[in-house]
Amino acid sequence: MFHKILIANRGEIALRVIRACREMGIRTVIAHSTADADSLPVRLADESVCIGPPEARLSYLNIPSIISAAAITDSEAIHPGYGLLAENPAFAEICRACGITFIGPSPEAIRLMGDKAQAREMAKHAGAPVVPGSEGPLAVVDEAQALADSIGYPVIVKATAGGGGRGMRIVREREALARAYATCQAEAGAAFGSSELYLEKFVEEARHVEVQVLGDRNGMRLHLGERDCSVQRRHQKLLEEAPAPALLPETRAGLYKAALAVANSVNYASAGTVEFLVDRADRFYFIEMNTRIQVEHPVTEMITGIDLVREQIRVAAGEPPSFVMNGNRLRGHAIECRVNAEDPARNFQPSPGTITAYHPPGGPGVRVDTHIYAGYTVPPFYDSLLAKVIVHGNSRAEALARMRQALDSFIIEGVTTTIPFLSRVMRHPDFIAGRVDTKFLEREPQLLQPPA
Amino acid sequence: MARRGSARGPAAFSIDQVVELAVRHNLAELEVEAAGTRIRIVREHAPAASGSRADAAPASAAVVQQPAAESVESTAHLVTVEAPMVGTFYRAPKPDAPPFVAEGDVVKEGQVICIVEAMKLMNEIESKVAGRIAKVVVENGQPVEFGQPLFLVDPLR
Repeated sequence: MFHKILIANRGEIALRVIRACREMGIRTVIAHSTADADSLPVRLADESVCIGPPEARLSYLNIPSIISAAAITDSEAIHPGYGLLAENPAFAEICRACGITFIGPSPEAIRLMGDKAQAREMAKHAGAPVVPGSEGPLAVVDEAQALADSIGYPVIVKATAGGGGRGMRIVREREALARAYATCQAEAGAAFGSSELYLEKFVEEARHVEVQVLGDRNGMRLHLGERDCSVQRRHQKLLEEAPAPALLPETRAGLYKAALAVANSVNYASAGTVEFLVDRADRFYFIEMNTRIQVEHPVTEMITGIDLVREQIRVAAGEPPSFVMNGNRLRGHAIECRVNAEDPARNFQPSPGTITAYHPPGGPGVRVDTHIYAGYTVPPFYDSLLAKVIVHGNSRAEALARMRQALDSFIIEGVTTTIPFLSRVMRHPDFIAGRVDTKFLEREPQLLQPPA
Repeated sequence: MARRGSARGPAAFSIDQVVELAVRHNLAELEVEAAGTRIRIVREHAPAASGSRADAAPASAAVVQQPAAESVESTAHLVTVEAPMVGTFYRAPKPDAPPFVAEGDVVKEGQVICIVEAMKLMNEIESKVAGRIAKVVVENGQPVEFGQPLFLVDPLR
């Protein structure tokens, strides 16, 4: 096992890694920017090294400085957390070349899964279903017509250069395709300077369901159940739960099998997540693999009783996982809410500032992962995640009740937070019924506004 | 590395407070400058191995108090050259070579005064002012972090 690990991250995940290391008897070094000199991770790590100025580009993303910090502190391994350098294959390669263990998968696995088109091919080859669609840009409308006939309606026509909801049309029947194609082409040409289009199956009422996997260096790979992360805003997850509500048993089994097939295809040897879209008929499609520990990993920890960060460190050191997974392992229901320093009523505008009062929630089955404290100043340089509230209950109803009481007793003053918004979601009949998909907030925009 | 405490700021210190600090942290030497007063404590027996606070009573501490303005060594005008990156500090281009600069040497602006090694790369660090090297703060071969003072330079006027 490692004697000393350098943490190349900040905020709550840096603290999370420090906690796991302390339990394992591993010394920690936190590499931090000048803006985080007064942060809790700096205070609680065994050692700290300032690696640069506030801008992440010059500190947390500065590979030579981080490697150098590991070298001068004799750190044997680097934990990258999530975001920042966690999915940078060049960083993982440099660590390897410098004889430092990167706590994550191989650079090859990161690179393969980081390229969307390649990941899709790998998944398809491994037998995981992907969203059916054109392999490249479409040449003529007839090609689109033939493809749509073979994959079935509804389909979505998208501009290759598109984004932000422009240059796309959902087509529900054959008769409407030709006109949608022409409009989309004109729109794309005008908006993006390229009229190239592609077409894929439109996944209706899609739920975002992902499977947590863990692999070791000896080729053992297992899954730790799934998480539902359907409540999103512009592809940003706002809350997560496990297990996914209203999933048929055969769908669940299919998801686990597909996730392990994708992980096996890149000899995945760390903690990772395989993401899928599940439609209303419970058909599922691979979207991507995240080759890191994820923000929402605690919901899986709550229902499995397994410390994922600890397992990630174990397998990075060449050891096998400390447990054997079987079907009986999953217990109860867990929900995580991400508390951000943002104002939902103002388009989730960030709200940096100084926290004047802080009191976390508590009680049975309540966990709070956070780096904030009364008097802490939320710097404007980094993401706005303040805390994660995670609850566990014997049933989903119990977990929901716990989350409501936890959010309602969570006091953070001085900055605007998403707590009131999350509390409203926890009381929405569709969420209570487990009937949400990725378009939930678009349909229910009143959830973003404080009640009049 | 980052287990240094810095004594900065405008608040005034009493001699007793500084002695207290030096004893509590078992320091051989402590210098505090605040509100125009500089206090320097030199303890002859320190650092004594895990002596109790009573053992290390300030009987052995020599206390010098002098107004900063009269001091021939006033440091207020000195320019600090800081480490622009994290790495290992070297005073010479090679282990057996003479150091780039020594205390008392006069340097030009832009002159290489040390090396900070990061990821096997020898980064030459230049003086940002012309002047006389007043103090080399870090010892050769020591690790340094971003922003850590390396040299104090007395600028030429």
